[in-house]
Amino acid sequence: MKSDEQLMLEYQGGSKPAFAELFERYRSPVYGFFRRRLNNAARAEELAQETFIVILRGSEQYEPTARFRTYMYAIALKQLWTERRKEVREHRLVKLPQEDKFETDPATGLWIRGALEQLDPDYREVLMLREYEQLSYDEIAEVLAVPINTVRSRLSRARGELKALLESQSAKGVSQ
Amino acid sequence: MSRKEHPVWEEELMPYVDGQLDAEAASNIEEHLEECQQCSKRVADTRRLSQQMATWQVEDPSENMGARVFGSAAPKDRSSRRWGWFTNRQSWMYGVAGATAALALIAVGISLLRPPTRDEGTSSTTMSWAKTTDNSGPGAAYHYEVQAPSQQGQGQGQQGSLGRLQTEQAKQQRQQRPPGDLRESFELEQDQNGTRPPAGPMVIRTANLRILTKEFDSARARIQAIVQQAQGYLDQMTVRGETGLGRYLSATLRLPSDRLDSGLTELRKLGKVLEESQGSSDVTSQYVDLQARLNNARSTEQRLLALQRERTDKLIDVVSVEREISRVREEIERMEAQRKDVFSKTQYATIIVEVSEEYRAEIQPSAPASGTQLRNALIDGYHGALGSVLALAMLILRYGPALLLWLAVLLPVAFLIRRRLRSLIRAN
Repeated sequence: MKSDEQLMLEYQGGSKPAFAELFERYRSPVYGFFRRRLNNAARAEELAQETFIVILRGSEQYEPTARFRTYMYAIALKQLWTERRKEVREHRLVKLPQEDKFETDPATGLWIRGALEQLDPDYREVLMLREYEQLSYDEIAEVLAVPINTVRSRLSRARGELKALLESQSAKGVSQ
Repeated sequence: MSRKEHPVWEEELMPYVDGQLDAEAASNIEEHLEECQQCSKRVADTRRLSQQMATWQVEDPSENMGARVFGSAAPKDRSSRRWGWFTNRQSWMYGVAGATAALALIAVGISLLRPPTRDEGTSSTTMSWAKTTDNSGPGAAYHYEVQAPSQQGQGQGQQGSLGRLQTEQAKQQRQQRPPGDLRESFELEQDQNGTRPPAGPMVIRTANLRILTKEFDSARARIQAIVQQAQGYLDQMTVRGETGLGRYLSATLRLPSDRLDSGLTELRKLGKVLEESQGSSDVTSQYVDLQARLNNARSTEQRLLALQRERTDKLIDVVSVEREISRVREEIERMEAQRKDVFSKTQYATIIVEVSEEYRAEIQPSAPASGTQLRNALIDGYHGALGSVLALAMLILRYGPALLLWLAVLLPVAFLIRRRLRSLIRAN
């Protein structure tokens, strides 16, 4: 199996099937990235599309010194930050809409999501990149442009806080 | 808790759980975990937390998600791909920069395209007065003009209008010429369409004279008399006088070639000859060649006219013959003008005479009173200060828009380079 970087280089050389393969590999992960961070499924899909479009248009800028996953998630993060700024400007930042449904295990999903929402944004981002996008510490450091020790400490604190939040929610549930 | 009491810090457990340690470091942690229940619990909790987080699943994206992506890839426009990074970063900033640049460009364009006003045309130049005239007779009108040395184009324009006036006056002069002079033979020669070959060598003669005189006014009158006596004409004359300097006259005389020597003799009597030079140029072959080409062109024209009369079959042929006739006629007219010019130059010698007045300084009146001098100094100072303020304002207005433009263009570029460098350093 060809690596992501090889496929990207082939696309730079004009191979469209190479990009199609990359798209198939990452369409769900990139969509998941936005879906877990935004309330709107349609908007999440649009942003995932835009991320791939930016990769397509900027493919000449890509250099194999950077890992493709790092490159891709860095673009996705920028799209996300732009979207959040736009939401703040337009005052349409809505937390946890009740109508938002998840196909699998909605109860657990909302429980985890609710706890994550309460974390400090910096901690939450590191934790989500690690748990859901499965990025290594080096990759997270590169994507967020922070030192690797910062990634370690944030991750540790995020996990500690999330554990405490889940435990407190669990205790409330039992008491009710 | 110190490192001695507890060799593994809590933060170091995270890379172990996440599989981010090398084999040696991982085995060290494992050894520690066998002994430390607290850390073992922490690792187990972290793993359980990961499992809990993994329960949050999201649905798959729709099947048509790729349609838009591959639709955008279809044209694969190189230019848009190259600048994709540009268009995706805070496009509003580039919009503002572009608009500023456009405004600055328009302002600079307007300032450059606006014609200079009269005030601008005469400012910052040293003024001198001059009078230029054809001077074809004692009663000729004088035309005074203010010439600014730095406004060459303007001066030339004024000279151009004067030149036209002189040409008109020369025409009138020619109409008043007595019959039988040499110019009549020239006109006769012209009437014969240049078919007559020249009797002898055709030579264009020129002479230059520079004279210093004490009696400037009489010298000017004498020049006119010499021209009339030789039955020539005054092509151009300029008289200039500046305060503190002697007057100066420059004239171009056209005298019949056979009267050049007598004319020069008379001119030398005007004063002290500072410089004299004579020259000649044989144009016989040029004239003969022109005449031959002219005859050929006329023959061609006749043949074409005959062809035009005979061939009336196709419209395209008729049109092409007409076009050819027109081209040949144009050529004939151009050669005719050249031939006349050469002939004229051989018939009339050109003398350029410059007369300078020997200047005698006038006795200066007594110096003004101290109060007047102080007042004058004060006024000069006021004008100087006002001038410097105006100069500064003009400098800002002249170069300000251009500076703004370049700042608007270069600042985003510098900003982008800085960002690129930063990202490169971060990547390394």
